[in-house]
Amino acid sequence: MIGAGAGVPSDRAWAAAAQHVRASHHRGELIVFAPAWIDPVGRLHLGDLIPIDMAGRLDSARYGVIWELSIRGARAPETRGLRPTASARFGGVTVRRFEQPAAEVLTDFAPQVARATVSGARVRGPDYVLAEVGFSPHRCAQLVPAAGGAVTLTFADVTLGSSLAIGVGLADVFTRRDVRAPATLTVAVDGRELATMRAGVDDGWVRRTVATTPGTATVTFTAAAIGPRSSNRLVCFAAEARR
Amino acid sequence: MTPHDRFAPPPEPPVELTTVATRAPAPLPPVAPSLTAPSWLVRVIGLVLFVATLVIAVEAQRDVGLARDELVYMGAADSYARWWIDVATGKDHALTEQQITAHFGGPGLTDHNREHPPLMKTFFGFSKIVLHDKLGVASRITAYRAPSALMHALLVLIVFGWTVAVWGLGEAVIAALLTLFLPRALFHAGLACFDGPIATMWVATLYCYWRALDRARWAVLAGIVWGLALATKHNALLLPFAIAPHFVFVAVRDELAVGRGDGSLRGSWFARCLRGLGRGLRRRWYLPMALIILGPLTLIAVWPWLWFDTVAHVLAWLKFHTNHVHYNFEYLGENWNAPPFPWHVAVVTTLVTVPAATLAAAAIGVGAQLPVAWRQRAVATTAPGLCLFLSLAASLGPFFLGSTPIFGAEKHWEAAIPSLCIAAGLGAVWAARAAITAIGEWWPRARHAVAVPLAIGVVGTLVAGAAAIETAHAHPYPLTHYNAIAGGAPGGADLGMNRQFWGYAARGVLRFLGTQPPGLVYTHDASPAWGVYAREHLLAPGYRDAGWEEGGIARSKLAIVIHELHFNRHDYLIWSSYQTVQPVYVLRFDGVPIVSVYRRP
Repeated sequence: MIGAGAGVPSDRAWAAAAQHVRASHHRGELIVFAPAWIDPVGRLHLGDLIPIDMAGRLDSARYGVIWELSIRGARAPETRGLRPTASARFGGVTVRRFEQPAAEVLTDFAPQVARATVSGARVRGPDYVLAEVGFSPHRCAQLVPAAGGAVTLTFADVTLGSSLAIGVGLADVFTRRDVRAPATLTVAVDGRELATMRAGVDDGWVRRTVATTPGTATVTFTAAAIGPRSSNRLVCFAAEARR
Repeated sequence: MTPHDRFAPPPEPPVELTTVATRAPAPLPPVAPSLTAPSWLVRVIGLVLFVATLVIAVEAQRDVGLARDELVYMGAADSYARWWIDVATGKDHALTEQQITAHFGGPGLTDHNREHPPLMKTFFGFSKIVLHDKLGVASRITAYRAPSALMHALLVLIVFGWTVAVWGLGEAVIAALLTLFLPRALFHAGLACFDGPIATMWVATLYCYWRALDRARWAVLAGIVWGLALATKHNALLLPFAIAPHFVFVAVRDELAVGRGDGSLRGSWFARCLRGLGRGLRRRWYLPMALIILGPLTLIAVWPWLWFDTVAHVLAWLKFHTNHVHYNFEYLGENWNAPPFPWHVAVVTTLVTVPAATLAAAAIGVGAQLPVAWRQRAVATTAPGLCLFLSLAASLGPFFLGSTPIFGAEKHWEAAIPSLCIAAGLGAVWAARAAITAIGEWWPRARHAVAVPLAIGVVGTLVAGAAAIETAHAHPYPLTHYNAIAGGAPGGADLGMNRQFWGYAARGVLRFLGTQPPGLVYTHDASPAWGVYAREHLLAPGYRDAGWEEGGIARSKLAIVIHELHFNRHDYLIWSSYQTVQPVYVLRFDGVPIVSVYRRP
C-alpha cells in the first residue's frame, strides 16, 4: 500500500491545472471539483476565483461556463449531461470546460429577505446566511418556525420570468440529529400555490423548478415545521426567478 | 523415518485441542506444532515480541496528535492517582465519601469522567507521576500513554502464548506479528484511552477462562482478569456472550462424547444436552462461580466510586452508555447520527481497515481449519477455535443490531481482531505447508526436512511484512488509511468512509501555523488539546485558542478545520467570517485532505 497515494495528483499537478484555468477563466464562470472530497485542495489552488455566493449557489444553471477539475475519473454533478468544449490533463488532474445556456436571474429572493413581509409564529429569522444543508454550502434565507407552526414570507411586486427555481433544506447537522421532524416549504404566486416541497433530515438540498408567468407578482414562501415536536427546524431556502 | 514417511504430505496442522472422552477434565494434550523449539527459546521469542511491541507503540505515539478524549482521561488520571497516593500515605479523610466523590465522581453524569471505569486512567496517572514527574524519562504525553502501549505488548504476548500453546511456534509468531502490525490497533495502543487496553483485557480474560477449563486454579485469575476488564471499559460486559456459549458447548460435547464412548447415550438430543450441561457445571462449577463472584468484586475493588451507593452508581454507568448520544460518523458516503444503522458496518469496516494480507491469510486459515473441526465434531474438546470465534462474534455482534452507535468504528470491536490474526497465523502456516506439498509433487528435493520451516518463514515474512509496511505507511494518520481492498486512503475517501475522529490530525498543521503571523487561532476540534500542544512546545508561542464556534472564528486570525463530513459547517462559518473560501494550507494523507488552515485576509 506504499503507493496508495499515487492516484492522487501532487500540488505541482494542481498548480499546473490551476494555471491553465486562470489563463482562460473569466469572472462569473463556475469552478467545481470532483470528487467532492478533493474540494479543499481545489480551493487551495483556485479558491480566489470562487466567490462565496458561487460556492453557496442554489444550483449551476446561472453559469454559462463551468470549469471542472477532477481526479481519479470522477465527475462533478454540475456537469452531468454536458459535453466538454475543451479538455486537458495535468499529472492526474483533468480540466474540462463546459458551456451551457446560462439562466438569466430576474429576481434572487434570498438576498432580499430583509424586504419581505413576515407573518406567523417564529423562533428566529429570517436571515440571509451561508448555511450547511446536506453537508454542502448554501446561501439562503434561514428561519426557524415555532414547533408545529408556519411562517410566511411575502415578496410583493417582484419580477418573474418563465420559471422559478427553488432550493430548500434543513440547516445544521446537530439539530437535524437531535430533532428528526421534517419541514415543508410552500410557494405561491399571487395566492396560487405552485409547489410544496418537503425537507426531511436526510434529504439534503431539495431542488425544484416550477413554471411561472412572466411579469410582476406577489410571491409567498411558507415554511412549516411539521409535527408538535418539530422544534429548532432551521429551514433554509433560496429561490431565483429566471427568464 | 522411512522414505515413504519423508515424502508423505505433511500432517494437517491440528486446529483444535482434543481430549479423549473422560469424566475428568483432561490436561492440555500435546499438539503437533508447526515448528518446535525448546521452551526457553519460546519464552525468549515471546519476550522479544513483547519488548518490540512496547518499543514500537511508544515510539509511534510520539508522532500522533492528541485525541480529544485523551485530554479528559488525563485529567481524571491525575485525580485518581492523587487519591490513591493520599490513601497510601494515610492522608486524613481520604477514604470518606466526600473525598472519593471529589476525585472519582460528582452529581453530573460526566463528573471526573465517572462514566468510564478507572483502571487505565489510574495507570495513566501513576505512569505520568513515575515516568515524567519522578524519573523524567518521558514527556508528559508519552508518560500518560505508556500504559496503553504496555497493554498492547501484553496483547501480542498473549496471542503468541495462546497460539504457541495450541498450534505451534510458526503460527504463534505470525499471529503475534499480525496483531502488532494492525495500523489502527497500533494507533489506539499509543493513546491514553481504553480501546487498545480493553482488547488486551478481553483476550486475557478469554485466555484465562480457556486455561481454567482444564486447570481449576486459572479460574481465580479468569474472574479477576474479567473484573479488571470491566474496570477498563464496558465492552467487557459482552464477554459472557462469548464465554457462556463456549462453556455450554464444551460441557455438552463432552457429555455426548462420553456417552458414545461408554454406550450410555440415551434420551433425546435435548435431554442429553441438558444432562451434559448439568454435568459440566458440576465438573467445572468453580469456573462460572469465579467469574460471577470475582469479576464484579474486582471491579468494585478498583473503583472507589462504587464503594458506596454501589447499585445506583453502577446503573448510572450503564445508563450513560445505553443512552449514549450518537456522534456523527461517515460510512459509505452517508453521515450517520441516528439509528437504524446499516447492519454491515462492522463487517465492511473490518474488511477495509485490517491489512489485506492479514485478511487473506485469515480466510485461508478459517477455510483450512473448518474441515478439520468438522471431522473432530464427535470428540470432546476444550479447543479454543470456537472460543476465538465466539469472541469475534460477541465483540462484533452488537453492531448488527442497528441500534448500537457506530462512531469510533473498529476501535469498538478491536477485541475481535486478534481472533483474525490467530486465524491468519494458521492460514499462513497452512499455505506454507500446502506450497511445499505442491512443489514436492514435481521436485522431490523440496520435501527436505527444512523445507516446511523455511516455507513458513517465507510465507510468514511475506504476510507479516506486508502488514508491517502497511502499518508503517499509515502512520501517523491510520484513521484516514484504508487497506488495499478499499484502494488506500483515496479509495476510502471515494467510498465515503470516515476520514478521522477525535481531532488528533491537527498536530500535523502546528508547524505550518508557526510560519504564519501570530494571532488567535480557531482550533476547531483540537480545542481541548491546544493548551497541551503549547505547553509541550509542539506549537510556537503566539497562537492561542480563539474560542468556540462563531465567536472564536470572529476573533481569530487563523482557523483550522479538521475534515469530517459533518464538520463541513466549520468551513462555511469560516468562509462567512473571512470572506474567502481559499485555505492557505491543506494537510493531506496520501492526497486525501485531513486538515485545512485558513488565514484571515
